[in-house]
Amino acid sequence: MSIAARKFLIGLILLLGAGAGIGWLYGHADWGLLAAALLALIWQARQLLSFERALRTGNFDDFRQGEGIWQQIFSRFRFEHERAVRRKKSYRTLLREIRKSTNAMPDGAVILDAGNQIIVCNRAAKELAGIKRKKDRGQRIDNILRDPGLGKLLRSGDYKSTIEIMSPVKDGDWLNCRIVPYGADQKLLLLRDVTERMRLAKMRRDFVANASHELRSPLTVISGYLEAIADDDNVPETWRKPLVQMRGQTARMRQIVGEMLELSRLESAGPMRSDKPFDVPALLESSREALGGHANTARITINVETDAQLRGKSAEIETVIINLLSNAIRHTPSDGEITMTWRSGEDGADLIFADTGEGIDPEHIPRLTERFFRVDRGRSRGDGGIGLGLAIVKHVLARHDAELSVTSEAGSGSEFRCHFPVERVVMTPAIGLSQNCNISVT
Amino acid sequence: MEASDLHGHISRRFNKDIEDLRNSVLAMGGLVEAQLSQAIAAVVSGDSELGLQVAHDDYKVNNLEVNIDEECGRILATRAPTAGDLRLIVAIIKTITDLERIGDEAEKIGFLASKLAAMDRPTDSYRELKTLGNHVSHMVRDAMNAFARRDVNEAFEIVKEDDRVDEEYEAITRQCITFMMEDPRSIKRVMNVTWAARSLERIGDHAKNICEYVIYMVQGRDVRHTLGSDDAQLGLD
Repeated sequence: MSIAARKFLIGLILLLGAGAGIGWLYGHADWGLLAAALLALIWQARQLLSFERALRTGNFDDFRQGEGIWQQIFSRFRFEHERAVRRKKSYRTLLREIRKSTNAMPDGAVILDAGNQIIVCNRAAKELAGIKRKKDRGQRIDNILRDPGLGKLLRSGDYKSTIEIMSPVKDGDWLNCRIVPYGADQKLLLLRDVTERMRLAKMRRDFVANASHELRSPLTVISGYLEAIADDDNVPETWRKPLVQMRGQTARMRQIVGEMLELSRLESAGPMRSDKPFDVPALLESSREALGGHANTARITINVETDAQLRGKSAEIETVIINLLSNAIRHTPSDGEITMTWRSGEDGADLIFADTGEGIDPEHIPRLTERFFRVDRGRSRGDGGIGLGLAIVKHVLARHDAELSVTSEAGSGSEFRCHFPVERVVMTPAIGLSQNCNISVT
Repeated sequence: MEASDLHGHISRRFNKDIEDLRNSVLAMGGLVEAQLSQAIAAVVSGDSELGLQVAHDDYKVNNLEVNIDEECGRILATRAPTAGDLRLIVAIIKTITDLERIGDEAEKIGFLASKLAAMDRPTDSYRELKTLGNHVSHMVRDAMNAFARRDVNEAFEIVKEDDRVDEEYEAITRQCITFMMEDPRSIKRVMNVTWAARSLERIGDHAKNICEYVIYMVQGRDVRHTLGSDDAQLGLD
């Protein structure tokens, strides 16, 4: 018990005792006690009323008027109250600073709760995506940004990927959406204006496509005349060798132009639209026939371990097979062995090309799919490689939601593995088409 | 009004049903918007593959319509909603019909795009169609926004916008007639352009209808065929 409380109790007892004592002197102890109790009550009531008034008016100077235990209560309350006000003030300043800085951010940021409802957003989100800051609070984000891609991304729960959506505010603008999960199950949606980047990428694609296209017709003319001249018997013997070389090089240029066109087509085509199931082993077989069988090529074996079919564009997958197989043939000595495997499992299907060739240094592997990248810069280009094959492979596989992984050990061979996700694999050939039609309403 | 205004039911399950229904209507709206903008892009860029893709994807819109319709029927039968909820369900049933029609028109435009891609392209690359297309896709987008936000004022604005779409359509038709008179060989191509413009104009009408359902949903007033007269505007604010 505190000193104030003890004082209060003693004071109360003394007052009542004095009242009773004075009453006893006059012969009425009970009346005396009653009068003392009334006195105590009036005093308490006064203190209580002044406390109430101080609370009501907010004028805390009146606290000083408290006496005894009430003074303690008053000053304690005042102390706590002032501390709370100070803390609130500092929090408010901090919050204002945070809000100022999020508003200064050039990227839109929207905080979403577990049900994807908007909790709060910054000014850039309002400007980029037309989200109304007060009105849209509590609204689901995919009700405002209704692009089907964003809804899919939110439902998928896979927040590693980002998507581009058309700006709902300005025609022709593009927004990049990234979702960052945090806390228990809150999410942060980041919106970035990528119009300029998209425009540059498109310009680059268009340039490559147009340049390749324009180069094609002069090349056709040149190679046509070269054919005719080479077949002419009047050409002096000294020109024979240059002519053969010229023919070889124009053929090579035509191939480069063709592959560049193919690459730019794949880049601008976007996600795969055709999804008919087809047999992979048939493609493996026909590629082996087309490329293998020469005296100095390695032995090619085909391993088919599943009857699963693949959903996609068979012509494009054939390009992948031919590119990977011809790479393997080029880098494997004639006494080596190349194995093509088609297998499926729980998590999808794999198309594996393994060879016993010279292998690739680990530091080159990440760069393999770059355009015109060559492991050995000094090597002669006469072996038919251009440096676009694996870039094409990468793009085709990306269009089929597949991934290319390469494992290799210098000297003992390499393995190229194309992994297709479950959605791209049809296990029993019969149900291929009926699966296209289920879409869920969420 | 906010979305949270719908959460006033004792039955949580009912809240969730209504919220889900609203969300799927907006998801359908998003799909239709995407279809429409792709169809327009296909016409403008002469991308026949994209056009055919839009035409092919229309089944997704149709499936959504059937699903949402079924869900509305289920809620009507099991929950017997009243007042605002009833208006919401009625408005949804009508809205999805119009959305589905917009999807159909987008499908048509997609087909026309693949046909137009095979023909000569005019020097202006169908700029009028692009302008009209952007105009109506804004209308559809704003109509869905008005639906999401229960925003009556915006709905009224969009309804008024339809007159301008009609004017643009009129101008395109007139221009097409001039082309056909000048050069009868272009009739086949220009006819396709006219059809595409016609589809876009219809989409504008459907967007207008959706806005009228939004007004009905929020205020309980049926403003169909009455807008333009003064007393329809009176109760706006």
